[in-house]
Amino acid sequence: MFNLYSCKNNANKILLFVVLFMIIMCFSADAGAEISSKKTADSDKMTIAFVPRSLENPIFLDAFEHSQKKAVDLGINLEWLGSFSFDSEKQIKIIDSLIERKVDGMIISVNDTPKYDRIINRAMEAGIAVATFDADAPNSNRIFNIGIDNYEAGKVTAEGLLKVLDQKNIDYNDPDQELRTMIMTGVKGALNLEKRINAFLDTVADTNIVIEDIVENQDNVNLSVELLEQYVQKNPDIDIIFFVGGWPFYVPAEALPNFRNWAQNGGVAVGIDIFYDALVLQDRGLIHYLVGQDMATMGSKGLSTLYNYIKYGVKPPEYIKTGLEISNQENLDRLLRIHQPWRVK
Amino acid sequence: MFNFIKKIANGIEIHTLRTKLIISFLIIGLLPILLFGFLSFNVYSGAINDRINNYSQEMVNRMKRDLEDYITEVERFLSKEQDFYINQFIKLTQANDFRNSRKYAFRIWEDFNNVKQLRPGLKDVAITFQDGRRISSYGTYNIDIDNFKESLYADESDETFFTQPYINYFQEEVVTVARYYYPEIAEENVLISADIDLDVLADLTDFNLGEKSYFLIADQNGDIIYHPEKSKIGERSFYYSDGFPDRKVSLKGEQYLLTSTYSEVTGWYIISMASADEVEAELNYITNLTIYMTIIVLILIILLTLYLSSSLSKPIQKLQELTHRASENDLSVKIEISGDDEIAELGQSFNKMIRRINKLMEQNVREQKFLRQLEMESLDNQIKPHFIYNTLDLIIGLLENKDFDRATHMVEALGKFFRLSLSHGKEMVLIRNEIKHVKNYLFIQQFRHGEEYEYIIDIEDPEIMDKHIPKLILQPIVENSIYHGLLPADKKGLIIIKGLRKNKNIYFKIVDNGVGIAPEKVEEINKILKGELKIDDQQKYFGLRNVNQRLKLMYGGNSGLKVESVENEKTMVTIRIDQRGGK
Repeated sequence: MFNLYSCKNNANKILLFVVLFMIIMCFSADAGAEISSKKTADSDKMTIAFVPRSLENPIFLDAFEHSQKKAVDLGINLEWLGSFSFDSEKQIKIIDSLIERKVDGMIISVNDTPKYDRIINRAMEAGIAVATFDADAPNSNRIFNIGIDNYEAGKVTAEGLLKVLDQKNIDYNDPDQELRTMIMTGVKGALNLEKRINAFLDTVADTNIVIEDIVENQDNVNLSVELLEQYVQKNPDIDIIFFVGGWPFYVPAEALPNFRNWAQNGGVAVGIDIFYDALVLQDRGLIHYLVGQDMATMGSKGLSTLYNYIKYGVKPPEYIKTGLEISNQENLDRLLRIHQPWRVK
Repeated sequence: MFNFIKKIANGIEIHTLRTKLIISFLIIGLLPILLFGFLSFNVYSGAINDRINNYSQEMVNRMKRDLEDYITEVERFLSKEQDFYINQFIKLTQANDFRNSRKYAFRIWEDFNNVKQLRPGLKDVAITFQDGRRISSYGTYNIDIDNFKESLYADESDETFFTQPYINYFQEEVVTVARYYYPEIAEENVLISADIDLDVLADLTDFNLGEKSYFLIADQNGDIIYHPEKSKIGERSFYYSDGFPDRKVSLKGEQYLLTSTYSEVTGWYIISMASADEVEAELNYITNLTIYMTIIVLILIILLTLYLSSSLSKPIQKLQELTHRASENDLSVKIEISGDDEIAELGQSFNKMIRRINKLMEQNVREQKFLRQLEMESLDNQIKPHFIYNTLDLIIGLLENKDFDRATHMVEALGKFFRLSLSHGKEMVLIRNEIKHVKNYLFIQQFRHGEEYEYIIDIEDPEIMDKHIPKLILQPIVENSIYHGLLPADKKGLIIIKGLRKNKNIYFKIVDNGVGIAPEKVEEINKILKGELKIDDQQKYFGLRNVNQRLKLMYGGNSGLKVESVENEKTMVTIRIDQRGGK
């Protein structure tokens, strides 16, 4: 009753009543399989799926929370699907399964690569409305992207870095003294991350800040922690670290001993992404300046925009910008009160 | 039909010794080989079948064990007691408290993904609410709970549920195992389920049983859960018959050995389908070996048979040919003998026989020649000049006395005497004529000697008159009686010639009442007649010896003469002719 095979395999029965019986059985089996694998029993509702880059990255939890609230308000069947760790193959497979199930829409966070463009275009051709959040694939036929202005985020972070250096009386204009910098990013090809890096580099272009290394953590939290610890152990004299995203901020300070030592010895770290654990690290002096994304708005507004597009044909602008949040020494206590810890103790 | 077979048999000359030998050798040689081949084939095939059955049974039992271990491990995970995080997530989700539930959702994603990492083959682990909301290792989504529940069937414990294979939300072919979870803090129960990749079942059944052989798994209704041909999955198995009893089944014209076992943990049958062809492929080697050996032995037997039959039949054929030539009076034939076997012995006997025949024939010729010589001598003895002259003088005297009647009788008697003596050259004469011949002789001698003696001829058995005997047997004996018995005596002589038959012998007894013969002489004569005494004077006892030798030559050693005499009283010569020895 629940499988797709029984119909065709029993279709060669000769007797009429057997054929009829099988047709009925096949019909019911097909129906079961259809519902089970494509739409839920509550099929009157619109089904929109979010596909974050991974489930393990808590930065998406705000979007998860607020999209669920919005879905209840709008009467939408919301799906939140992703591989636990980022894996482009698995993510594409999930998107493929959504196409197969003919959901009404999907909002995805992807890399800006041709294979993502192809799967997005295929979904669009299948009549599924596709939008992107956080990371964009502008070369695809997606309807819109909702996220921060990544260039602005990179720029603000760089400006924040300069402020911190000022506060620490570190001369970033002295041509005889280079400030050696490491950049940790997710993966190359993620357009949002590239924009942040470019903005950072543009902003510090006239300073003595030089980029020593760019380290890719493959969007993997654990790997990011490991790479960070190894890097600062091998390069204790590095002056500045720019975290393009908040991957290694999900662990307590005790899990980052080398990084902590490096920070205590005068290292300056700035980064993008604000969440509870990152703020705790900032509070403990490991990070000096953070720029956050408004993931909650990405979740709720992204969902409502796509809903309006599907249901009412309201065409949104191609880019919907969500605001930036800044965490510095002045507002850190307030932000620590606002943001909830994501980990269950 | 019979004629047809006969024709073929004749066509291949089945009657010949050579063909019979070939057929006999073939039967004797082939029967044991075929019997041995048949028996060994059966024994070996039984052993292989047993081995395959045992192996298949061992395999399905092992698969059952592996499958049950795997499912039990999954069940153990699904059989959760109270789980704080799950309970909190359920409670908060039911309350739509997304702000607080998200950290539990994250925890569950993390836990479920860890479970997936620890148990290869698990495609997804999920908690499903009664309204179809689901949280799994892939995130959160909704399913059709009614359809899902409908697809579940319980195992024997009625606590664990299974589905048929299906394609899940993520386009993966899976079987779902599920159990109910009853959270303490919420009224509503949920289903905890695990999607098992069908490839796990493929791995569990990945035993090499042969190229065509395979394993499959079916549920209690015979619906196929796993089959190497994926299109078969979900079908009702043809071989389901209130279970899957072990037996031989036919599929697409090929035979398979079906072996199965039932897993009480899953409620599934694990079935092995061992291709009989592949099982028997090993047997084919033995079959081919037997066939090749049979052919080789057959060829060897044929060659051996040809050799043996040739070595046997060739001398026999040669013997046959020479015998045929010998039967056509070519007694110069002789077999060249090589070897010392029975055929060689037969050839030697043949040669010996031919030599013996030649010898006998030469002896026969010699005897015949001797017989002729004796006859001629006997005839010569008959035509003694003084007998003829005296008789002719006697006839002349009668004619001068004008006693023409008696002269005529004498001439007539003399003529008959000589005519009967010659008998147209015949060797054998009727006794009747021999008696006539003696009568003529006696008539002539009686006339010559003035009727000094009488004679009596007494033939007791008239039938012997028509029997043949050698000619000139009686006359020489009668002549001896006249000249050596009667004429020297001074009394009226009497000669009795008696003919009789006793058993198969014809006897003539010639008795005279003359002077007789001295006993020593009688003994000497009899010894000479018996061949016990040789004499140098060939003229001595010529008449007796001549008759005696001729009889012995013609009738064998039992025939011949015997002389008995009483001096001055009588002499009796007995002629015995043993007809059984006649030529």
